[in-house]
Amino acid sequence: MVKTNTHLDEELKAIFSNDRLWVCVVWDDPVNLMSYVTYVFMELFGYTKEHATELMLKVHNDGRAVVSNGSREEMERDVQRLHEYGLWATISKEEL
Amino acid sequence: MMSKEPGGFKRHGENEYQATFSESEREVLINLSEQIIELLAERVDHAHEDPLAAMVGITVHDAPPEDEVLLRLLPNAYADDDAASEFRRYTESTLRDKKRAHSMAIRSNLINAGNQPIDLDHEGANAWLGGLNDIRLALGVRLKIEDTQQEHLELLKPDDPLRAIYAVYTWLGWLQESLIQALMDDVTER
Repeated sequence: MVKTNTHLDEELKAIFSNDRLWVCVVWDDPVNLMSYVTYVFMELFGYTKEHATELMLKVHNDGRAVVSNGSREEMERDVQRLHEYGLWATISKEEL
Repeated sequence: MMSKEPGGFKRHGENEYQATFSESEREVLINLSEQIIELLAERVDHAHEDPLAAMVGITVHDAPPEDEVLLRLLPNAYADDDAASEFRRYTESTLRDKKRAHSMAIRSNLINAGNQPIDLDHEGANAWLGGLNDIRLALGVRLKIEDTQQEHLELLKPDDPLRAIYAVYTWLGWLQESLIQALMDDVTER
């Protein structure tokens, strides 16, 4: 007998429907302080200081970084919250 | 003009942050917060805002702001213009309200405190960070920080009006940094 894992089912369905392939990208900005960007990542996403710092440095060095991924609705929420705190963020479907 | 030491925000017990400002510092901060509030209000065209739509947070604005500063404060969420417009229509008024609340918090905290220290809890500190950042973004656009070497701004002539703006911009960065450092201790401990 096969026991269905509902959570996994939903995950798979989401992956096949492409609903989880949206990403939130933060772009480099010459005004925002590095410590501020790190703090906002920790505060909004609950990331550890190490992970937040890593992402901040990626934004700083590469000009951009994917900071979260999920459904389109989730990414729109993330972008909105980042805009509230003045980070320059966009939603896109590429490069997971 | 702007004192750098001592001052700024300091952690004052758990999840409490305190700063004392001179009269001129208070005036500058109140004035700049009000400018942000006024700028955001310019975006609301009362004559054309559908009151029912406004009530549920839908705005008639779906084109990005023409003003450079407003565009930086209310940026596009998508590279694609159509998707950006659609998103803006349903979210911009909420974003404006949040930003307005941040600037209002700075303004009313300063007015209420008078020459007494400002006391912020965690939420209040976040409002200040967001509000200070919006002011820095606005000044950054005016100073053309995007394409100007900071060294160039350091060497501005004493009578250049940009020099005073740059001094305020630098001071705001320092003030924001002091609050972040104070907050980091509590966030890291959580």
